[in-house]
Amino acid sequence: MSTLTQEAAAESLAQRKTPKTKTRGALVNKPGWLGYTFLAIVMVGAIYPLYWAFMIGAGDQSTITERKVIDLPGPHFFENALEVISSPTVNFWVAIGNSIIVSTIVSISVVFFSTLAGYAFSKLRFKGKSGLFYFVIATLAVPTQLAVVPLFIVMVNLKLAGTLPAVILPALVSAFGVFWMTQYLEQALPYELIEAARVDGASMFRTFWSIALPSARPAAAMLALFIFIQTWTNFFWPFIVLDKDSQTLPVALSVLSNNYFDDYSLILAGAVVSILPLLALFLVTGRQLVKGIMEGAVKG
Amino acid sequence: MTTQSVADERAVRLVAFRHTINRWDVKVSPYLYISPFFILFAICGLFPLLYTGYVSLHEWSLIGGEGDFVGLENFQFVLGQPKFWDALRNTFSIFLFSSLPQVLIALVIAAVLDTNIRAKTFWRMGVLLPYIVTPVAIAIIFGVMFSDKYGVINTLLTNIGLPAIGWHSDVIPSHIAIATMVNFRWTGYQALIFLAAMQAVPRDYYEAAMIDGASRVRRFFSITIPQLRPTIIFVVVTSTIGGLQIFDEPRLYDQFGTGGADGQWRTLTMYIYNLGWIESNFGRASAVAWLLFIIIIIFAALNLIISQQISSGGSRAKK
Amino acid sequence: MRNSRRTAAVAIAGAAVFALVATGCQSTDNGAGTPNNDWENEEITLTLATFNNFGYTDELLDGFTKLHPNVTIEHTIAATSNDARTNYFTKLGAGSGLADVEAVEIDWFAELMQYSDKLVDLTSDNVKDRWVSWKSEAATDADGRLIAYGTDIGPEAICYRSDLFAAAGLPTDREEVAALLEGDWAHYFEVGQDFVANSDAAWFDSAGATYQGQINQVKNAYEENDGTVIATTNAEVEDIYNSTLEASKTLSAHLGQWSPDWNAGMAAGAFATMLCPGWMLGVISGNSPDVTTWDVANVFPGGGGNWGGSYLTVPAQGAHPEAATALADYLTSPESQIAAFVEAGTFPSQVAAYGTPELNDYTNEFFNNAPVGTIFTDRANAVSVAPFKAAKYFPINDAMMNALSRVDVDGTDDAASSWDKFVADVEALG
Repeated sequence: MSTLTQEAAAESLAQRKTPKTKTRGALVNKPGWLGYTFLAIVMVGAIYPLYWAFMIGAGDQSTITERKVIDLPGPHFFENALEVISSPTVNFWVAIGNSIIVSTIVSISVVFFSTLAGYAFSKLRFKGKSGLFYFVIATLAVPTQLAVVPLFIVMVNLKLAGTLPAVILPALVSAFGVFWMTQYLEQALPYELIEAARVDGASMFRTFWSIALPSARPAAAMLALFIFIQTWTNFFWPFIVLDKDSQTLPVALSVLSNNYFDDYSLILAGAVVSILPLLALFLVTGRQLVKGIMEGAVKG
Repeated sequence: MTTQSVADERAVRLVAFRHTINRWDVKVSPYLYISPFFILFAICGLFPLLYTGYVSLHEWSLIGGEGDFVGLENFQFVLGQPKFWDALRNTFSIFLFSSLPQVLIALVIAAVLDTNIRAKTFWRMGVLLPYIVTPVAIAIIFGVMFSDKYGVINTLLTNIGLPAIGWHSDVIPSHIAIATMVNFRWTGYQALIFLAAMQAVPRDYYEAAMIDGASRVRRFFSITIPQLRPTIIFVVVTSTIGGLQIFDEPRLYDQFGTGGADGQWRTLTMYIYNLGWIESNFGRASAVAWLLFIIIIIFAALNLIISQQISSGGSRAKK
Repeated sequence: MRNSRRTAAVAIAGAAVFALVATGCQSTDNGAGTPNNDWENEEITLTLATFNNFGYTDELLDGFTKLHPNVTIEHTIAATSNDARTNYFTKLGAGSGLADVEAVEIDWFAELMQYSDKLVDLTSDNVKDRWVSWKSEAATDADGRLIAYGTDIGPEAICYRSDLFAAAGLPTDREEVAALLEGDWAHYFEVGQDFVANSDAAWFDSAGATYQGQINQVKNAYEENDGTVIATTNAEVEDIYNSTLEASKTLSAHLGQWSPDWNAGMAAGAFATMLCPGWMLGVISGNSPDVTTWDVANVFPGGGGNWGGSYLTVPAQGAHPEAATALADYLTSPESQIAAFVEAGTFPSQVAAYGTPELNDYTNEFFNNAPVGTIFTDRANAVSVAPFKAAKYFPINDAMMNALSRVDVDGTDDAASSWDKFVADVEALG
């Protein structure tokens, strides 16, 4: 399980414990210049490495040896980026395509199965419910990533090694997702709605489909966003099991850093290019991402 | 029998049938809905974990496959390797260098963000920005920035008259460099979590303290921190599980990816990879995997016990 | 139809500028009468995986696809031989994912030989007596199957920076430099002491590279002929290790090979000489394209030496073994290898290449028009020892490189403590 899921789970659990009050009175602090300066330094720390990479990536082979701390970017960024993207040895386009495929399928699958299970855990009655739910939470603490050796053996035997399903299959469900949706639906979905649907003669699944699923939408969107980013940035298992043809973007990037070891302008141009897809996503959905991290499962 | 009664009987049976279906629907559906998670977890999580144990008891090569049963020989071997202990040291050291400063800085960021600041969304998105950068890209960028001779960090240091540091040759500096990558990506994220928890602290606490004349710093330490303790502890517990498995950043920290000539920054997960895929020894790799698994579980449990004791002493119990 | 297309292709290629391509493929065509040529009729993609710089340009690959228009070639390049090795064994274990034609370096070739049943037997009349004998003998398994085609060998010369030499008062002309450096390793280090006394630059790049040059002159460095590991008890190994590290204290630039600092140092003039197997020429010109003072001298300490050199193999898991074999055949023809040498300095292992005007007359512009064709032919003739490398050679040598780096680059150990760690590493190989 990744840090992301655990941290978000931690956060939502913490929120459960502390009731949220909205009494933000007139006595609220104003930040002094110290606060703004501090934040500005943090922002510089967040942006400088990326800018520096861009600066080197926009230069040529010798830029790195000039040992400049900060400078205007050179004129070669597009040239370098193009060389990296079109390099047949790195297969950047294929990698971006693969990343999109994997992240999309995994996000949809996790959201669907999590909502399904979350609905059952939060609104349906069945034997062993709380025990099973605690089991789900407990699996968050299980470092499944460590089982790569058998997983590799299994994928080899299923003839899936080197193919995208080898990465997709183990990621189709998420304990964090189940936890997240359970928390959300418990609050957001009134029993009356479910009962009304049942009285109308809707089957269990129909009730889920037409009542639970729509009302889960806000939390589902956030979950999808988190899972998408998490899958997109994942490296260890894809690196082990994928081939050149099936590699995802981080794997391609690691190949790039090996292949152009003699030209850092190309490597860093590639690193910058690799950031762009998620950066675009971030600019569109960043607000929701912040909201998702902060509001957690309780409020949605 | 009249046709009428036949039809009646049929209708009755149909209703009964519907009832049966419905009862089954109600009974079975919940299990059906939660089953995908459990089935996939069993196949892709539980089974491989147990199978790791099985592999660790055998001679097992990447290419040749399963060999003889060797008992605990693989465990004996790896425990006798200085490499294992070095990797254990590195893993914990990197973890400490990443979690402690991260929590501290994140708390301060959160405290500043918790004030009545202008352009809230801008700052919040700003600190979160590094979170969307792949660890691989971060590792490549920082790996070059931290180059021993031509890296920008050492250039900066020597520019201001400090000696250059062996970021790739010395143990602790390499850990700090790698921890910096982790902190770069996660500090803003953690800050937002803390911010959320801070906003949940009842404001009247602060008001009372202000009336008592407590300074801002004092309020932070005597109200905010204690109120956030469960969140902090939980964050630490959960990031332990991820942090102790660190692989991406140290793997891409240099061009070889084996953790340095002296294993200065080789972590346990890298050691697993090296044993399994470079030395082709799945048996030994699995043994290390099991050991790390046990270490993580013990650590997580330990942290959990501590956190539970603290939270049961302080705030009210979870419903 | 099949015939006419091929004839046409040959005609075009033959008429084209690239005359050697045609000759390269003529030999492939000898097998045209054999029944297994279905691959010539379908659209197929062949993957080719090499590492470092084999000198396989698009033009060279086009030479093959012109003759076989149904074939598309995808070429992947790994940075280092280490990466290529990990990838090779992982995919061999996975049973899929290897390229149709995979390059193997000599140092881990013996390790791969253990799994020769997973490779296609490439024995063919086309390639009979193509290589210097030790090259093809090493590629023949216990059952007499030829499982790899030799590409290059790595006869070593000395590359040097004439500007740094001049500044330190040493001769700059490549023949004078050759005369200056003629002698054993102790002499090479002595000249180095003179140099560093008059220069800010170091004499050589790293202890690791300098050690490589010496260990490849030892017949049985790490393993007896029966495979018994003697690396930790062989006094010769320990001597080379100690003398190299001793010399490195004052002569080394302390740059780990293939590291960012090493690349940058090559361009920045951090060191004056480098041991230069043919394939290193391409690395140097790639790393320091703006430097005009790299040159190469026809000399090597201790006589001749061979560092590296590679093979092409055809893994049996591939979908097109016949087509892949034809491609490997084409790429390892003397003509192709000369073209590769011109591109990247990968010196031919093919007998027929030696003495040809293409090779003899070839000068390298980057190295101030040094006659590298004749220089490396001489260097190849000077090689007197074919080092024995068995299954454990690669991991042992890798452990040794780490041992040297610990002292030379990282400074985390002294020579004695690093040696102890090396001994432990070798013992851990089991």
